[in-house]
Amino acid sequence: MLARRMQPMALHARRLYVQLMFQVMGNALQAISEVDAEAQQEASALPVGFLFEMMVMPNGPNLIVEHLGDGRFRYHGSSAPRKVNLSIKFKHIAHAFLVLSFQEKTSVAFANDRMIVDGEISYAIRMTRVLNRLEAFILPRLVAQRAVKEYPSNLHLPEKILSASRIYLKVASQFVETARA
Amino acid sequence: MTNKYYEFFCPVKVVAGKAALEHIPFELNGLGAQRPMIITDKGVRAAGLLEPVITACEESELEIVSIYDDVPPDSSIAVVRDIAGIYRAEKCDSIIAVGGGSAIDTAKAVNILVSEGGDDIAAYSGAGIIKHPLKPFFVVPTTAGTGSEVTAVAVISDTEKSVKLPFTSSFLLPNAAIIDPRMTLTLPPHITAATAMDALTHATEAFTCIGKNPLSDAYATSAVKKISENLLSVMDNPKDADGRLELAQASTMAGIAFSNSMVGLVHALGHATGAICHLPHGLCMSLYLPYVLEYNLESIREPLGDLLLYLDGPEAYAATPANRRAEAAIAAIRRMRDALYKKCKLPRTLKETGQVEESQLEAIAALALDDGAIMFNPREARLEDAKAILKKAWA
Ligand SMILES: [Fe+2]
Repeated sequence: MLARRMQPMALHARRLYVQLMFQVMGNALQAISEVDAEAQQEASALPVGFLFEMMVMPNGPNLIVEHLGDGRFRYHGSSAPRKVNLSIKFKHIAHAFLVLSFQEKTSVAFANDRMIVDGEISYAIRMTRVLNRLEAFILPRLVAQRAVKEYPSNLHLPEKILSASRIYLKVASQFVETARA
Repeated sequence: MTNKYYEFFCPVKVVAGKAALEHIPFELNGLGAQRPMIITDKGVRAAGLLEPVITACEESELEIVSIYDDVPPDSSIAVVRDIAGIYRAEKCDSIIAVGGGSAIDTAKAVNILVSEGGDDIAAYSGAGIIKHPLKPFFVVPTTAGTGSEVTAVAVISDTEKSVKLPFTSSFLLPNAAIIDPRMTLTLPPHITAATAMDALTHATEAFTCIGKNPLSDAYATSAVKKISENLLSVMDNPKDADGRLELAQASTMAGIAFSNSMVGLVHALGHATGAICHLPHGLCMSLYLPYVLEYNLESIREPLGDLLLYLDGPEAYAATPANRRAEAAIAAIRRMRDALYKKCKLPRTLKETGQVEESQLEAIAALALDDGAIMFNPREARLEDAKAILKKAWA
């Protein structure tokens, strides 16, 4: 607990940020899966009822989404209804922060052993592509270019503005619902 | 400061060179092992490659307790279970794998069962399941390509469910890799060529994909140099033991490089092609390497340009302006493929293989997108990209 005595606020803020970002991503994953044909197509290969987790070792924070079929996701918050099928585990909160603050690409974090995959690798790849898509949607273009390997060329401005605004609306409304519940 | 971070791990003792096999008894003894089992395949036995291994052990009064020589090219959980049964019945205490990718992967899986217990290898599938060191395990590669002697993975087929089970753990790594030129001296020309191109692809992808790091770079560049300097001369003079040893070492070095920095789209396409058209892995690598490098070109211009030095030597490197070196590196690889085509008819296009239908390209592209290697490719390849590359590689 030495670290906590040294910089309690900064470490606390980092943990809060990661927690919050997991919530935003969980909600946004559900939202884009309802509006974006490409994300749907990518996700539709996952089994129905497939539970995906992203977590920080050893005990969270985390996010859990379920594939409902046809590429649609449901965000489950941080508790899984049953054993998850695929878990992407950050080795440390510091590494999760690098990725979730878009300083390090998800694929680079994989390549550099920042995180481990527990589950079927082909599903992990699909989820990484969905997450890339999500980041392109929810982030300003400049930040997104840093976060994903390639900014999708078929994400034209009108489509982006249109769908992104729909997503923001949905994320916002789901946030309110989550807060009420 | 950048976010640069990497890990590098290779605890395998490399025992390489003339009379390397004769070190096996001493090395096994050092690990307290006295009753080794050899795991190999019929091809290795028929090629007479077991004799020098057995003789080397017997001369040092180390008895090979059991030899399993029936590993199929695509090993299954039933084979692994059978071998583990023999190992236990014969009270063996260590494993020597002699062979290529399949024999080595099988031996890794057998080592899990005989060390961790049980008969169901599927229970250990996945990453990080194994938490303890396994039994003493040596690998004697008989091809110079896969690099399996230094990788922490094994793939075994579950034939009933028709899925491939991956096993990943650093405990799968052998205690020692024995690199002896006698083991690759009799490799037929087309296998020499294809496996060397596999090793070249390991090194090239390790050096140009997103997991590259300074330590794996050093292994990758040395491997490229050894292959480009020795492959064609070994093709002309197959009994050249020095050249064979260089290729075998290059394969191990490329294996160390890619097991620490991963491979990319060439392997994703190659794995898919292997699964659908049953083409040998090394051949697939040779087919796709230049086309994928062209596709990745603008993302890998700098590292690929650096590779020219190792592919084509210092004079060609110095004579090429910096902004043309990446293209020149691809040209050097193409020249190597053309030479191999001349020497042993190693196909350069999918059409030249005669084993692929143009109608299969769509399925290959789709399957490649599910392959783990695609994550580490410097460009985010989509279905259209994969299809375009396959089309170029077609003819
Ligand atoms: Fe390979």
